[in-house]
Amino acid sequence: MNAENPKPIIVLENLVKIYRQGKLEVPAVRGVNLEIKSGEFTAISGPSGSGKTTVLNIIGALDDPTDGKVFVEGIHLASLSRSALSKLRRDRIGFVFQAYNLIPVLTAFENAEIVLALQGVAVKDRRERVMGLLADVGLEGMEHRRPDQLSGGQQQRVAIARAIASNPAVVLADEPTANVDSSTAEKLLSIMEKLNRKQHVTFVFSTHDQKVMDRARRIIHLVDGKISNDEIRE
Amino acid sequence: MRVFKMAWRNVWRNRRRTIVTIAAMSLALFSMIQYSGLMTGYLHGMERNILDLEMGDIQIFASDYLDKPSIYNRIENPGDLIKKLEAAGYHASGRLKGGGLAAGENSSAGAVFRGVDPGQDASVSDVYKHVLRGEWLDVGEPAGIVIGRRLALSLDVDVGDEVVVLSQAADGSMANDLFKVQGVLKSIGEEVDRGGIYMIDQTFRELMVVPDGVHQIIVRKPPTVPLDKATDEVASIADGADTRSWRQLTPTLASMLDSSRGAMYFMFVIVFLAIAIVILNAMLMAVFERIREFGILKAIGVAPWVVFKTVITETIIQTGLAIAAGGILSIPAAIYLSTYGINLSSMSGASIMGIAWDPIWKSSFSVQTFTGPVVMLAAIVLMAALYPALKAAFIRPVAAMHHR
Ligand SMILES: Nc1ncnc2c1ncn2[C@@H]1O[C@H](COP(=O)(O)OP(=O)(O)OP(=O)(O)O)[C@@H](O)[C@H]1O
Ligand SMILES: [Mg+2]
Repeated sequence: MNAENPKPIIVLENLVKIYRQGKLEVPAVRGVNLEIKSGEFTAISGPSGSGKTTVLNIIGALDDPTDGKVFVEGIHLASLSRSALSKLRRDRIGFVFQAYNLIPVLTAFENAEIVLALQGVAVKDRRERVMGLLADVGLEGMEHRRPDQLSGGQQQRVAIARAIASNPAVVLADEPTANVDSSTAEKLLSIMEKLNRKQHVTFVFSTHDQKVMDRARRIIHLVDGKISNDEIRE
Repeated sequence: MRVFKMAWRNVWRNRRRTIVTIAAMSLALFSMIQYSGLMTGYLHGMERNILDLEMGDIQIFASDYLDKPSIYNRIENPGDLIKKLEAAGYHASGRLKGGGLAAGENSSAGAVFRGVDPGQDASVSDVYKHVLRGEWLDVGEPAGIVIGRRLALSLDVDVGDEVVVLSQAADGSMANDLFKVQGVLKSIGEEVDRGGIYMIDQTFRELMVVPDGVHQIIVRKPPTVPLDKATDEVASIADGADTRSWRQLTPTLASMLDSSRGAMYFMFVIVFLAIAIVILNAMLMAVFERIREFGILKAIGVAPWVVFKTVITETIIQTGLAIAAGGILSIPAAIYLSTYGINLSSMSGASIMGIAWDPIWKSSFSVQTFTGPVVMLAAIVLMAALYPALKAAFIRPVAAMHHR
């Protein structure tokens, strides 16, 4: 991979999403063109209802676009079967949702390890990797806690560990800090930044929060389902 | 193993609901096992009574006896045939049969006389054990007769009383003799109860002037030989005679027993369908309150198949526990019911469709009595879990995330 000019891992071409509620049509995304490259630390911002979640869901193959094309690592998603999409999500995409990310009956360790287990990674390698990741997100010693024994911020850290465990091409995080207080949000952002710098994890996250936005190196601003501003900082 | 671990923990997430569900399943299983044991015992008992007291397994007649049941239609040389049958592993005994009138002091009634060889007959029939009062036939008492319960009532006679028997003998003369009631039978079956008179075969021959032959040979097969096969074999030994299995002789009874079995399975289906609804409800609740979780699993790339397996495994765990609990509880109850039974002596002497019925109703258990209800429970419960499991497996993550 060329560090100077990395190839895009996500390409959106003329993305359109119209939700249909009975006779009513709700245009959520109205022609978005976008490229995200490996190693980015990108925020998608915009007012409520501007289409942030919709865009992330479509990139993550959780939802189908009404029109336009989505490429993940060069693969046109529309060409994949349901089970291929499921496998793509498992192997190439990490997800962190706003809240309640974890499976309540599994411990922090088991939650973080689940994707690796599904991939059939050997128990020993799995253990090593997950223990390392939980330490990276600052949860050393809490591996055996169940989600209800963890704070909201700690739960999000487990979710981050789970999302990056399988070395995905990109981690999509939809408002990962919306349910935690601002100092916890700061800490989560620091963890994500560190993982981005040291382990080259590509993050795309949505947020309302100006402080969170300020930590991003690229901010894509959505208004009414369109990109109104695409700002690369640094 | 991961699926099992998750399923196991999920099962205990809502402890109370799980326990109620398992209890309902165990109870249904327990009652169905006992019910199936009692029904089997009832049907067995009924079948035993028909066969042991009256019918035997197979009967042989002279070729046209069943069309024209007359005193003249006899099997000649029954002794040879009986020897051949015994050599082939069967028990057999000839009987003489004829109709007439029996009279007590004040009343009379139609009767069917049966002439039996008490020694030989005991190998094919248990009727000798079913004497209510008095004694069974005794070759030393040629004038002694044993009569049906209701015949005794209608003639108003009892042990020790005299009965006059009237008929037309084979030589056309008037058959007419005085007998002494030596025993009164317990309920055997409609026909015997109302008009049965058992006498020593020699006495019958003298009364009816029948010097040789028998009207009927009752055959018992070894329990392991299937009825159809035994009937064919006996028919080939008794070439030229008319051989019938008890099922052919009493098709209504046979089909009644079969349909009682059918009714038993129908009952299973009804009870287990009710259980299926309980399970369906419990599993639907368990799935719907976890929609978001299933959405997360699907989102991070867990295959529908794995989600399906998880929900089904949860059901299997609960069913397995219910089978263990219901099965273990069933064993002492089964032992009790098959050893001591339920005492129905207040209905004693009752007969059902003309068949004698033992007042102690005992269960009859075999491996099938247990496996039948268990397999049916498992099958129906899994069917009930199918919909919730598929529902969970095919949840769309985006829709599930909205759910909270
Ligand atoms: N499932 C749906 N059915 C119908 N309309 C929907 C659905 N999901 C989203 N929308 C609509 O699509 C538009 C974009 O929604 P989206 O959730 O993508 O916005 P958002 O930027 O994530 O908002 P927020 O900041 O509140 O999370 C909104 O108008 C919303 O009402
Ligand atoms: Mg949103």
